[in-house]
Amino acid sequence: MKNSFSNIILFFSFLITQVLLTNFINFGPLLFISVYPLFILTFPTNTSPVNMLLWSFALGLGVDYFTDSILGLNAAAAVFLAFVQPLIFKLVCRKGELENQIRPGLTELGLSRFLTFIAIGLTIHHIAITLLENFSFAFQFHSLVRIVLSLLVNTFLILLIEFGIFYKNWR
Amino acid sequence: MAKRSPVTPILATILLFLALETGSVLMIAYNSVFQQVRIFGVLMQIHGRFLNAQTNIKYYFSLRNVNEQLADENSRLLNQLAKYQTQLDTLKADSLSYKPLGDSSDFSYIPAKIIGNSTNKKQNYIIIDKGRKDGVGKDMGVISPNGVIGVVNAVSDNYSYIISLLNINQSVSAKISRLGAFGPLIWDGRSADYALLTEIPQHIKIQVGDSVVTSGFSSIFPPDIPLGTIRKSKIINGTHHEIQVKLFQDFRTLHYVNVVVSSHKEEVDKISTQNEE
Repeated sequence: MKNSFSNIILFFSFLITQVLLTNFINFGPLLFISVYPLFILTFPTNTSPVNMLLWSFALGLGVDYFTDSILGLNAAAAVFLAFVQPLIFKLVCRKGELENQIRPGLTELGLSRFLTFIAIGLTIHHIAITLLENFSFAFQFHSLVRIVLSLLVNTFLILLIEFGIFYKNWR
Repeated sequence: MAKRSPVTPILATILLFLALETGSVLMIAYNSVFQQVRIFGVLMQIHGRFLNAQTNIKYYFSLRNVNEQLADENSRLLNQLAKYQTQLDTLKADSLSYKPLGDSSDFSYIPAKIIGNSTNKKQNYIIIDKGRKDGVGKDMGVISPNGVIGVVNAVSDNYSYIISLLNINQSVSAKISRLGAFGPLIWDGRSADYALLTEIPQHIKIQVGDSVVTSGFSSIFPPDIPLGTIRKSKIINGTHHEIQVKLFQDFRTLHYVNVVVSSHKEEVDKISTQNEE
């Protein structure tokens, strides 16, 4: 019960953060801000996959709807990220952490493991977004620069959010 | 927690994942033209291949009919050739005004085979097996020996998508051969055998059985391609004839068409857009 309540609160706070960040600051064509993957990546490990997919789809769709992007773009990427999240988590977790009820955040994983976790997840998410935008597998240098830049900035932003106070109270 | 077989939830997850992804991609396709073009390009290629295989089978069984059609067409052309030959000979012998024809004719033709065709919808389309590689382009006309078939709407490398004359959005500029009165020929979406010739002024005295041909005003189609004969007419708003035309071409037994390449189309279009500006 507490879990789903905190999910709802987090859902809206991530949605609002994401919308504020994308709509009010223009970073140019080489950088896109997406911090909402943190919500998907840090689902408690005992959440059922079906729940996770539905939450992610809703969040992605919300982001698409309120920011000025193609409807369905972030939804597709978010659902894909939710689908592979358990696999990524298995890469960085230690024994016993799989049955945890709390969100695997910075304090739980430690800085280096958390950074690895976030970096892998964000890379997958960004590549998915770029592929959907270009809609081809042809390599473009422009896209590579965009992915790397966004990856750095988004990782930094997510770390800031993880250090934040509000987030700690609601998970 | 009760132990269940682990396969079911995994399967459910994968199914939900696929459903959500498909939904998202459909949404993207619906909302963004760029992705739409890419997706439909791929779909058209696949669709084209599939239809090609299907038509090859069908085609094999209707070879007899096709042969007959081709033989008819051949003999008709030979007759015409003979007629013109005699005319040419008399002209050569009698007249000083004879000038040999130049090489450049206004229209050239690309023969193509139909691989997909529908006649039972309000908006019918035809797919042919010639595309950009063969010189087919958007807005080119498509004809058969028996009349106008449609206008090319989209082109991929090997296939083209044609808006059939049997499409309520399509119209062809046509005229009554004997009288020279012209108007748009449209399709009312009812029967594949009939089309409507509209906007013919009331004072024109038409007769049942008059033949209707293309007017040649549109630069898409050459003039005087036979379309059909007048079956009946009624007067709309007291000012215009609405004439029902029985089409010569049976769209249901169509196998081969010719794409019309007009050498002057660009020039004509340029002039008309200049005028509009």
